[in-house]
Parts: sequence; C-alpha cells; structure tokens
Amino acid sequence: MGKLEVPEIDYTRYTNRQLAAVPLAVLAFALLILAGGYLVYGSPVALGMDFAGGTELTVETTASESEVESAFSVEPESVQGIQAAENQYIVQFAPTDADVADEAEANLEPVSEDRGVVQLSATTSASFGAGAQQTALLGIGAAFVGMSVLAFILFRSFVPSIAIVASAFSDLVIPLAFMNIANIPLSLGTVAGLLLIIGYSVDSDILLNNHILRRGGDFYESTHRAIRTGVTMTVTSMSAMLVMAIAAWALGVELLMSIGLILFVGLAADLMNTYLLNFSLLRWYKFKGVAR
Amino acid sequence: MKPIAFAKSNWRVLLLTLFLSLSLVFLFYPGGVMAGETYVGNETEDQSLHNLEFGLGLDGGTKISAPVVGMTVEEIEVDVDDPDEFEQRGPEIQQTMSDELDLETGDALVRTDYESRQMSAEVFTDNVTEAEFAAALQEAGLDVTEDDVRQGVTRDTRDDIETTIQSRINEAGLSGSRVSQAEMDGTFYIVTEAPDMTDDELRALLEDRGVVEIVMHYPDGEGGQQNETALVQSDFGTIGTASYNTERDYHYVPVAVNPGSAEEYQNMMVENSFTQNPQSCSYGDPSREGQNYCLLTVVDGEVVEAHSVAPRLADNMERGEWAASGNFQMITSTQEEAQALSVNLRAGELRAPLDFSAAQTLTVSPALAEQFKNYSLLIGILSVLTVSGVVYLRYGDRRVALPMIVTALSEVVILLGIAALLRMPLDLSHVAGFIAVVGTGVDDLIIIADEVLDEGDVNSRRVFESRFRKAFWIIGAAAATTIIAMSPLAILSLGDLRGFAIITILGVLIGVLITRPAYGDILRRLLTDK
Repeated sequence: MGKLEVPEIDYTRYTNRQLAAVPLAVLAFALLILAGGYLVYGSPVALGMDFAGGTELTVETTASESEVESAFSVEPESVQGIQAAENQYIVQFAPTDADVADEAEANLEPVSEDRGVVQLSATTSASFGAGAQQTALLGIGAAFVGMSVLAFILFRSFVPSIAIVASAFSDLVIPLAFMNIANIPLSLGTVAGLLLIIGYSVDSDILLNNHILRRGGDFYESTHRAIRTGVTMTVTSMSAMLVMAIAAWALGVELLMSIGLILFVGLAADLMNTYLLNFSLLRWYKFKGVAR
Repeated sequence: MKPIAFAKSNWRVLLLTLFLSLSLVFLFYPGGVMAGETYVGNETEDQSLHNLEFGLGLDGGTKISAPVVGMTVEEIEVDVDDPDEFEQRGPEIQQTMSDELDLETGDALVRTDYESRQMSAEVFTDNVTEAEFAAALQEAGLDVTEDDVRQGVTRDTRDDIETTIQSRINEAGLSGSRVSQAEMDGTFYIVTEAPDMTDDELRALLEDRGVVEIVMHYPDGEGGQQNETALVQSDFGTIGTASYNTERDYHYVPVAVNPGSAEEYQNMMVENSFTQNPQSCSYGDPSREGQNYCLLTVVDGEVVEAHSVAPRLADNMERGEWAASGNFQMITSTQEEAQALSVNLRAGELRAPLDFSAAQTLTVSPALAEQFKNYSLLIGILSVLTVSGVVYLRYGDRRVALPMIVTALSEVVILLGIAALLRMPLDLSHVAGFIAVVGTGVDDLIIIADEVLDEGDVNSRRVFESRFRKAFWIIGAAAATTIIAMSPLAILSLGDLRGFAIITILGVLIGVLITRPAYGDILRRLLTDK
C-alpha cells in the first residue's frame, strides 16, 4: 500500500549539544528580531488596528485601487484588493476624526444602485485598543503560566517539564519574529493563533515525553514511535492551517487568515523545537541527569 | 449477541450515536427545541431549514462598545446617626454638587446605602476635573480628597444604562438585539448589538440621554422671563402611548403625575400665576418678552415644545381639583415626536451618556455577511478535505482513515447542535473555532490509531483496552492544556475571540468525552472482527 512514511532520524550521530544548538540559535535570532522591533518601533511586533486603534473599511466600488486611495480626506494606511472579489477593497486608516465611511459613500461609485459602497466598517478608538492590548497580554500570559503549571503537574519532575515549557516558549517567539519580518501586525486573529499554539504545540511534547519517560523499552525505539505519531499529527494540522490561510487570504476573511498563518509557522517551529530541543533535554535527563 | 452485552461492549459508539441524533434534532427540529422566549427572532423572514443563529459578522448589523462618561467616589462615610437625617443628606449633597459644578439636570447623582450607611457620588460629564469634583463634595461637608475620585461610574449606574437601552430597543421593536457589559483593563464598556441596523441608526438610539423635563417659563417681574423646572421623569406615574386628539387635531402623550408631585405642581401653577394667565404663550417672540406663561417640554436640555395652559385646566387647578387625577397631556407637533417622547419617558433616561470617542464600532452589511457565511463554509470544507487527504495518504488504509474523518466531522455536528440548542449566535470567530476543533480532533485520533495499531495486530479485546488506555492518557493531557490555554480568552472579553475560545473548549470536551473514545471502539471492531 502506498502510504506516506515519516522519515527516521539517526539521533545517535549527534550530541545533545549539537541537537540543541539549532533551535537555540533560531530562538536567539528570533528574540534579537523582537528586541530590534522593540528598540526601533517601541513594540516587538507592529500593532494592528485592534490594538492601536484606527478604522477599517471594506468598500465595494467600480473605482480602481488608486482611485480608492485618493477618495478620502485623510490618507489610508493601506488599500488592499480582495483576490476573489474583483470590486472589493479593504482600506485601513490610523485613528482619525474624519468620517471615512461617509466619505466613501460620497466619493466612490457603488457597483449597483441597490448596494451601498461601505460593506464593513470597524472603528476602534486608541483607548479601546490600549485596553484590548493589556487584556491580550494578560490572556497570553495566563495561558502560558497555566500550561506550564499543568506540565509540571503531569510529569512531576523538573527537566521534562521545563523542556515542554522551553519549547512552547520558543514556539511562541518564532511566529512573533516571523510576524515582525513578514510585516504582519498583531491582531485579535493572531492573538488567537498564538494561544492556540500554546494548546496545540504542547501535544507533541507531551507525546514525546510520555513515550520516553512513561513507557519501557528501548530509548530510540520509543522516540521513533513518538516521532512517527507526532509528526503525522503536526503535519496534518499544518496542512489544514495552510489551506485555511490561503483560502481565507484569497477570500478576504482576515481573522481566519491570521489564525491559519500563525499556526502554520508556530507548528513548523514546534517540529524543530520538539524533536531537537525537547529531545536533547530528555536524552540528557535520561542518560546523564539521572545518573549524576 | 444479547442486547445488554451488545450495549455494554459498544457503549462508546452508542453514546456518540445518541449525541449525534440529539444534535440533528436540535439543528433541524422546526422552531427549535427550546422555543425562544428570550429572543422573539425575526420569524417572518427567517424561513431557514436549520435552527442556527448567526451573529453580526455572518448576518450583518452593528455593534457598539462604549464606556460611560463619568467620575465616581464610592464608600463615602457619612456621620449621621438619625435615619431621617441620613435620608435627607443624599438629595442635599446632590444639590450642592449640581450647584457647585454648574451641572445640568441628571448629571449629578448620589446613591445611599442604608445598611452600610455609606454613599456614592457620581457626575456624568467630561467638563469637570477630578479636583473640582472632590472640592464640590468637600463643600457638601464630606471627607473626600482628589485621590478618592475614580473615572467611570458605579455598577448600579451601568445596570441602569443597560436596562434603559434594552427597553429602548424593545420600544423600538428591534428583535434579536443584545445589550451587555464587558470589562477590559479596568474600564467597563456597554456593548450593544443590533442586527438590521446601521452604525448611524444605532448611535442615534444610544446618543440621546432622553432626560425629559417640564419647565415653567414665566415673567420674572422685571420685564424678562424666568425658568423653573416643574416636573421631571420620576414625577410621572403611568405613561401612555403616542395618541391623537381627533377633535382638536393634535398629537400628545398622556401621562399621570404621581399624587405628591401633582399637589406640588398644582401649587406652583397657582403661585406663579399660570392659572390666571391661560392661553398666553408666544415662546421666543421678543415683543411678548416678560408676558409669557409657557410650559416647556425640554429633552436633553433643548426646548422641544412650548404651550400655554388651557382655560379649563387652569380653572381646575385654581379650584385645587386637578391634583386628584393628575392627568397631563404632553403635546407634540408630529406623530413621530409623540412616539419618540413616549419611548424616552417609558424607557427612562439614560442615566449617564456614553463616550463614543473611546468606543469601538463594527458594522457589517447583510450582503458582505452573506458572503462571509459562504466563504466560511467553503474554507471549512477545504480544511476538512485537506485533513482527510493527509490522513488517507499517511495510513493508506480506508478502515483507519475513513472513520477518522467521520468522527472528526461528527464533532462539528455535535457542536453545531449545541450552538443551535443554546441559540448561540455564530460568528467568524466560531468558524475559526470549528476548524481548530477538527485540527485537534484529528491529532487525537492519530494518537489513538497509532497506539492501537502499534506492535502488530490487535487480536484480543484486552490488548486493545490496554493500548487504548495508554493513548487516552496522552489525549487527556493534551486536552487539558488546550482548555487551559483557551480559558483566558473565554473569560476575558477580548472582542470576538470569546466565541472562538468557547467553541474550542467545548469541542475538546466533546472530543475527549464522547467522539474520540467512540473512534477507538469503531477501530477495534474493524480490526478485531476480521
């Protein structure tokens, strides 16, 4: 039967130091990018409208993209055409006093008489955004702490638990750095994606820890079985998220696009973190840590 | 196999079947299982085949979240032992605040708590600083410093506002609307959601304070006019609906003035010579300055109507007979105005104004919402197909892959059933939740399948059970972390994400307790019966 097999890695060829070096280097690089963002812009990643305030319109008009751009008394931050719908554009503004929705209705030609120009308008005041930002930070913090506590309760020993926490931390930091590089602002959707990473990515770590620590049998045999299941899991989720992100991008459904994209990147980071970082910590714990 | 033994060995599958059938009933039973008393629903247009409800992202409408304008000092100790005196202190302080800070009617409020002997004072305006507010309270003889003042209003005030908006929505006949409160970073927001309403329409409904007053406008004896507030909202008892006098051709709202207030009002009318000067009102006419006897209807500080006293009413009051009935007609020029006045009087005034400059608004047109609905269905189907494809490619065995896909889908069906049962309005964020559930669900099914298929064939029930238990430990642990990671979002009111978190948590629970164990059973039957 033609089935996809998960490739086996010959772990015996590498030392723990070598294995951990790769994810740690990536993590350090990601942290560096975030620190740079913090120094230059005052926040590690750019804040989207949900957190910085502003107005977003979805307009439906016969006008061209450049006409849409010049239809307002204030200059839009961005105008983006929606792939699947020819006449729809998403227009974003920094916080403004101008009634941009009224201006759009006044200055742009609707597609047909019975349809308005403005199909969606969302306005967030700067103070509301600031409140949302605090709440989001609180949410991510609480989720991370909760997950860490649970990891300690589940495995009741320091190294395996800290291995889960460390790789989950890296799973969060790498997508954030990716957002910084790819110029994706932090939105409610990306926050949801980040929280889901905390929930999702821990699955493969738990699986690996469980197979290595709680089962008898050969160390490498257990590892390979955990990898076979874990990689299948993660790759399945990744492909679903990638398809969701691409489809949502083409259709202009922002929330679903950001969740899908962030999860895809986060899960890719998780593959590396689980099977290099977490694995090396576990091998060290199993062979050297206990003996000492 | 005997029925009992059959049920015993297949209880997981039977439980799944039960939940699936129930969900289908919840989803498709005409009219819904828990027939709606809470939401009247738009039954005339809603001829859909299912019982799902959609939020504004998938159905169109407007949502406005706005904080309340105001400042508060709470838990003010008052050194008064006598209960009567304590009762009088409240209105006194309120009057002092109003005078000191030069506030409009309704912008100062003192609430007294008789049990704890404490008071709270609030002002509902932006024009006063915290220092001025504290100073005004000190003037009223209270031990309050600027540090005691906080931005925002009391819980009671927010509840009042919520109730008022709810009744305004009801009076306006808007179905499916919701009002709630949400806290974010220490600030409370009043969240109003209305389908079928544009941004401007909903805002107009929320913007009006609706403070209705009857003001006496009469000569000050020095050639000018003076104003005196005679009746306020709380003086009115029964309030009628907008009415029309066919004989004399005018629109009005009939109200009954409460007995005590009616007596007082009657006395004022006599004292201020209104009863001696019926039909002498030319409000705003400069040539009649100093001779007008008008009763003004004032809404939110603006004069909307000015009328003289009818001769018969004047006679009645002069003789002291009017107060017994207290019937009063608030005359308006149009039917719409009578309607608006009646709504304002019935719903009561908005205790404090909302701060739209610190608000968040979202409006989605029904057309775009419809588009989002189709898109999310499409994205959902694409995601499921992808998952199925990968799973099939990985295992290359229909016996393993097919039930996996069916099980993952049945989780979504059960979730939709619950959403229909609870009349949960679905939004884009819920759709994201459904996709996340399919994702975690398949993860767990992969763990079960790998665990059970490992180390050769499953040839006995005992072997299966032991392997299944091992798999279940991992699934349980993974489920617990997902629930913990999502629970902050379910509790915090972070915009649209609550729906996402709730669906994900519910999905994980249903998955772990019902569908994923059933998958194990299905797999066992398929593998061991051969």
